[in-house]
Amino acid sequence: MSGSTIKVIIGPQHPALKEPERFILETEGEYVVDVKVRIGYIHRGIEKAMENRTYLQGLYLSERVCGICSDAHTTCYVQGVEELLGVEPPPRSRFIRVVVAELERIHSHLLWLGIAAHEIGFDTLFMYVWRDREIVMDLLEIVSGNRVHYATNTIGGVRRDLNDEKIHKILKGLKTLEDRAKEYLKMIQKEQTVLKRTVNVGILSKSDAIKYGAVGPTVRASGVKRDVRADDPYAAYDEIPFNVIVEDGCDCLARIMVRSREVLESIHIIREALKRMPGGEIRVRVKPRIPPAEALSRVEAPRGELLYYIRSNGTDKPERCKIRTPTLANIPSLCKMLVGGYIADVPIVLAGIDPCFACMDRVLVIDREKREAKVWTLDMLRRYGREWYRKR
Amino acid sequence: MVSEALSFILQLLIFPGFLFIICLAFFSEWVLRKFVARIQNRMGPTYTGSGGILQPFADFIKLLGKEDIVPAFAERTYFTLTPLLCLTLPLTALFILPMTGHRALISFEGDLIFLAFIFTTLTIMVFLGGFLSGSVFSMVGGVRAATQLLGYEIPFLLALFGPAIPASSLSISKISTWQAQNNAWGLWTQPIGFGVLVICLLAELELLPFDIPEAETEIVAGWNVEFTGRRLALVRLGRDVELVLASTILADLYLGGPQQVWIIPPIIIFLAKMFACLLLIGYLKTLFARFRIDQVLSGMWKYVIPAAMIQFIILKLIW
Repeated sequence: MSGSTIKVIIGPQHPALKEPERFILETEGEYVVDVKVRIGYIHRGIEKAMENRTYLQGLYLSERVCGICSDAHTTCYVQGVEELLGVEPPPRSRFIRVVVAELERIHSHLLWLGIAAHEIGFDTLFMYVWRDREIVMDLLEIVSGNRVHYATNTIGGVRRDLNDEKIHKILKGLKTLEDRAKEYLKMIQKEQTVLKRTVNVGILSKSDAIKYGAVGPTVRASGVKRDVRADDPYAAYDEIPFNVIVEDGCDCLARIMVRSREVLESIHIIREALKRMPGGEIRVRVKPRIPPAEALSRVEAPRGELLYYIRSNGTDKPERCKIRTPTLANIPSLCKMLVGGYIADVPIVLAGIDPCFACMDRVLVIDREKREAKVWTLDMLRRYGREWYRKR
Repeated sequence: MVSEALSFILQLLIFPGFLFIICLAFFSEWVLRKFVARIQNRMGPTYTGSGGILQPFADFIKLLGKEDIVPAFAERTYFTLTPLLCLTLPLTALFILPMTGHRALISFEGDLIFLAFIFTTLTIMVFLGGFLSGSVFSMVGGVRAATQLLGYEIPFLLALFGPAIPASSLSISKISTWQAQNNAWGLWTQPIGFGVLVICLLAELELLPFDIPEAETEIVAGWNVEFTGRRLALVRLGRDVELVLASTILADLYLGGPQQVWIIPPIIIFLAKMFACLLLIGYLKTLFARFRIDQVLSGMWKYVIPAAMIQFIILKLIW
């Protein structure tokens, strides 16, 4: 059988992928020998749209980059803009940002745990985890008034304060969540069928993880202690003691373990943040016009390092806003993980990096003859889109 | 003579024949769905009928009305034959299993072998139907179904023929009658065999942790990915009948089948046993994650086949 490979195409439409992206697997028998990835199926022109909006409007747009880690995106954006302005948000608002960010991390990790269980066919765990995810969704609703787009952050602080009643409710909800998370952690380590499907599956060695620049839980599951919250503290993370969760397994089980243990760590962080939260203002007023400068902002989103680059030109609109989401950073390591594995393991390995393709996709139009990248304005894009659909 | 023939035809068509079995199949699907949903902290079907009891039937009717598509690359004969046989084979098998009394509707010496034959044919039809549907996913699913057969067939047959030894008969009716009369249920006399049979039936029915041939997240719907409309309706009804068949086999061969207890008629006792087996299958289905195909094969050959053989040796030593 050597020499003859068969192409198995996963995507753009496939039940293992919640969003369209194409993976072309070269397979020999049941083994994957090579992977080609084609990304870019669902770019939404969001960076371009930001250039046509004011900074405050851009905030709401950045929230809509991702439906799961929406708070991470606004935090990152707001930090960048605050850096451009030279404004420091008040201490209390920084603590509130931590609380919402960690609640969101719990919600994202529980959601992922459910999906991972579904990928290996363990629907019972999926249902249980998603039931308990409702607790944290309710807490987020108590804090912000919304379940998905929290709209907590604003340039110069946060929009809503926490009172004693809300804090009491959060602490109560966290207690239940902690018990459940501990139970799942114990169950995952014991359940034989889960272990069979995840141990030694999708190996990403420590050196490879560093070489391919993996981020977030993916890199931490390969034994690398890399976390923006600890390495480059933002919000109030420098005032809260916490552990960076690291696992040495380098496989899918390690990725499950890292995320499950991070849920517990996040609960700890929220408790500490609520305990240490100072009083005072929650926001400062800022000018709408921003002097020419550039800023780079980093945040540890649930999926890993999120990066915003913003350049201002003295008007009330940014000249350029570049978003690099963690999924894009993890794609090279994903290719490494898939090679050498079974076809049957592809879904769980794919899910292992917690992909969020819609947040990741960008488009760059390259003129092949002139060998240069074309810069399009939003109007040009619109016109092109209309033309394209008319021709069909 | 005429009245005898008429009664046989009525039995065949209505009770305990086609109509009864089909109703039982729909009801079993509802029971399983509701049971699994409750275990998983969900509601299960609620809308159609009281407690959603008509949901499987509504699904069936809905599918009948859908567009019927034959893919261009599919082998038309097998593509049509597979759904039909998926339904008729388990239905036929249910006629030789006793449900209402000591004797099944059709009973002859050696019908146990016929049952084994039907199960193997069913898997081979699944393989052919999947392989000739002309889709990559169904092809992989079909191959996986056939590969899985290599794993579970031997222990399945060993566990199936285990109860025949103490009863010294190859007729299912005689085996269940013997067990009921001597009060020696297979479950007590050969518990390992019961466990092996349950595992193999889970694999045969393609339920978790052995739903590899139709693993949703891996190969979409596996071997039945290309079936639509009427064909899919038949395939799904066939799966329900298979579910009834599996629980009936367990009830007849290992739990003594239909027997008269005090004034309760045999059919009630039989249904109680059958649904107990159904719930057991449903409970096991919720407990596990899906195995990989190579793990199933090695697991079957390493643990299940030796277990079935040990049970056979123990049986031989006792009887």
